[in-house]
Amino acid sequence: MADITLEKVVKVYPNGFEAVKEVDLDVADGEFMVLVGPSGCGKTTLLRMVAGLEDISAGTMRIGGKVVNDLGPKERDIAMVFQNYALYPHMTVAENIGFALKLRKMPKAEIDRKVKEAADILGLTEWIDRKPGQLSGGQRQRVAMGRAIVREPSVFLMDEPLSNLDAKLRVQMRAEVSRIQRRLGVATVYVTHDQVEAMTMGDRVAVMRSGVIQQVDDPQTLYDRPCNMFVAAFIGSPAMNLYEATLEAGAGALRLGSQRIELPEAVRVARPTLAGYAGRAVVIGLRPEHLPAANERSDGNVIEGDVELVEALGNELQVHFSIDAERILAEGADNAGEVTLHHGEGVARVDTRSGMKPGSRGRFAVDTERMQFFDASDGLAIRE
Amino acid sequence: MAVADPLAASSAVPAGEPPGGTAPTVVGRHDAFRRRLARLGWSFSAPALIVIAAVTIFPIVYSVIMSFSKVNVSGNGYSLNGLTLHNYSLVVNYGPWRYALVFTVLYTVVTVSIELVVGTAFALVLERMTRGRGLLMAILLIPWSLITVISAELWSYMYDQQYGIIDAIFRAVGLGSPSILGSAAPSIAALCVADIWKTTPFVAIIVLAGLVMLPRDVYEAAEVDGASGWTTFWKITFPLLRPTIALAVLFRVLQAFGLFDLPFVLTHGGPGFATTPLAILGYNVMFQDFLFGPGAAIATTTALLVVIGCLLFLKVFRAQVGSEIS
Repeated sequence: MADITLEKVVKVYPNGFEAVKEVDLDVADGEFMVLVGPSGCGKTTLLRMVAGLEDISAGTMRIGGKVVNDLGPKERDIAMVFQNYALYPHMTVAENIGFALKLRKMPKAEIDRKVKEAADILGLTEWIDRKPGQLSGGQRQRVAMGRAIVREPSVFLMDEPLSNLDAKLRVQMRAEVSRIQRRLGVATVYVTHDQVEAMTMGDRVAVMRSGVIQQVDDPQTLYDRPCNMFVAAFIGSPAMNLYEATLEAGAGALRLGSQRIELPEAVRVARPTLAGYAGRAVVIGLRPEHLPAANERSDGNVIEGDVELVEALGNELQVHFSIDAERILAEGADNAGEVTLHHGEGVARVDTRSGMKPGSRGRFAVDTERMQFFDASDGLAIRE
Repeated sequence: MAVADPLAASSAVPAGEPPGGTAPTVVGRHDAFRRRLARLGWSFSAPALIVIAAVTIFPIVYSVIMSFSKVNVSGNGYSLNGLTLHNYSLVVNYGPWRYALVFTVLYTVVTVSIELVVGTAFALVLERMTRGRGLLMAILLIPWSLITVISAELWSYMYDQQYGIIDAIFRAVGLGSPSILGSAAPSIAALCVADIWKTTPFVAIIVLAGLVMLPRDVYEAAEVDGASGWTTFWKITFPLLRPTIALAVLFRVLQAFGLFDLPFVLTHGGPGFATTPLAILGYNVMFQDFLFGPGAAIATTTALLVVIGCLLFLKVFRAQVGSEIS
């Protein structure tokens, strides 16, 4: 078991493309670290660099305190689960799982014992003599896991291991992978583009964009206190509503299009630097669940919008509305499979009893305490 | 209802929708349409099928019939007079045929094995090359692209006892001046060398095609699992290449068993019968000795042996890798 330390790690491809830019990252022993980001953000490249499958162009990488920059994969004591499983098609499940042990010249009886144990953990005992071609996607995925855990490596690396499974199986395997990781207590780096996977599985999550790590935090902090607009928009589904607004002089209220939102004292006290933005444009972020339907008791801060679409999810309504303010789209954060948002559109999660209908005028209470503020010029959060 | 009225039935299918709804009339019409389409397809293919039948199937069938016939050859041609097994008993008891059979089989085994090993080695090198791969492939393919008769002539110059380069090399290293094409064993070796030189690139290209198709991530998994280069080849590459290698072997065995032009030009099947394969023997018996019946019997047995050999090979091969191909 070991920790992983990356110091100013860089990957430049021969064609000059810089896939990973000066990444610093620490993964503690036993920690489940998720690398998440949109396609092409460099997360898989970074993982492959940890594995030793890609050269490190600059910087230092340590596994268990030892510099591994010039070591091949087999000298790094890692195990990897590949996106397409990469099982050996000509070997049985048992041979696949036991291959690494056989290469280490482990006695056959011991290999058999370990393979059986791994197969038990993963529920593969029945299929131990089958070849990968005869297995379902979920079973193949388990074999790939088995091949990794049987080695008892210092580090687990997983490259979107659940992306080829159907939705239901993915949820099931998500829990299973987490459980196995906790049971073995091995430092794990897990790459995914699925922010739900990232949030549910990671002890900590590193959000990447264009080769740069934006923020590394535990899932709740990432959700509650995103460091910039990209992270704010990437984490959470439906995405955070980001609007351009103007802070009034004295920073006591916001102008959101033709509407006005008053900022309570508490909000200003929590963010003293906000005062410096008085009279200027800022970007505000409101998560859909922080825009409940307004009722008679709602005091003061209510925004109104034209309801365009109502999606009934049973437990709540997702209301798509539009207001006359400029909607901000964080670049690269629109890959969560959501519909492209147009001007002024926002999403609110409201109570089913609110009875909002398309075509009506919706009134939403603004939870100013949980509102996020971002600098309109650089997109960084105004958190202090 | 609509079924009873053809007009109403046709209007029930909206314009632009493909035929094949749920109404029974529509399904029936769909079947008729497909039958008409099939007839049209056959009629378009007919000319090609007739040509194939005339130039391929007819000669094969005719040669099989001939091999079982009493053939009378005279100044005006030949005639088939009744069935007999005599041709086959003649052939089986003919010494040169037995020799040619053994020679052809051994020649096939030896050349194909060497071509496979050398060709695979070439393919592995080519696959690793990042620069100059195209050029090297082009150079490698020159022997394969040369017409066999011409390459046979080139080799016969090189093997020549008076002015051949190989003879010169033998003399230079003090091995004297053996008559390479003048005695049995050296001429067989010379024939094998010429064949291997010519056909190895073909095997290399097929194996290379198989190599580039192998999944990259499986190799990465093996690397992570700690496999060395040698282990990776024997435990991963070779097993995964088996279907490709089988294909190469099949192609080559079919070709090698029908060996004709190379020895025909290079050694004329000699000295004696030393380099006479079944195909040349059959040709000689048929068109030099005008023994049409026995000649046809040689051709038929050779074809039969190849078919049996290939079927056996495929059976063994399928048993080995059948379950892996999902």
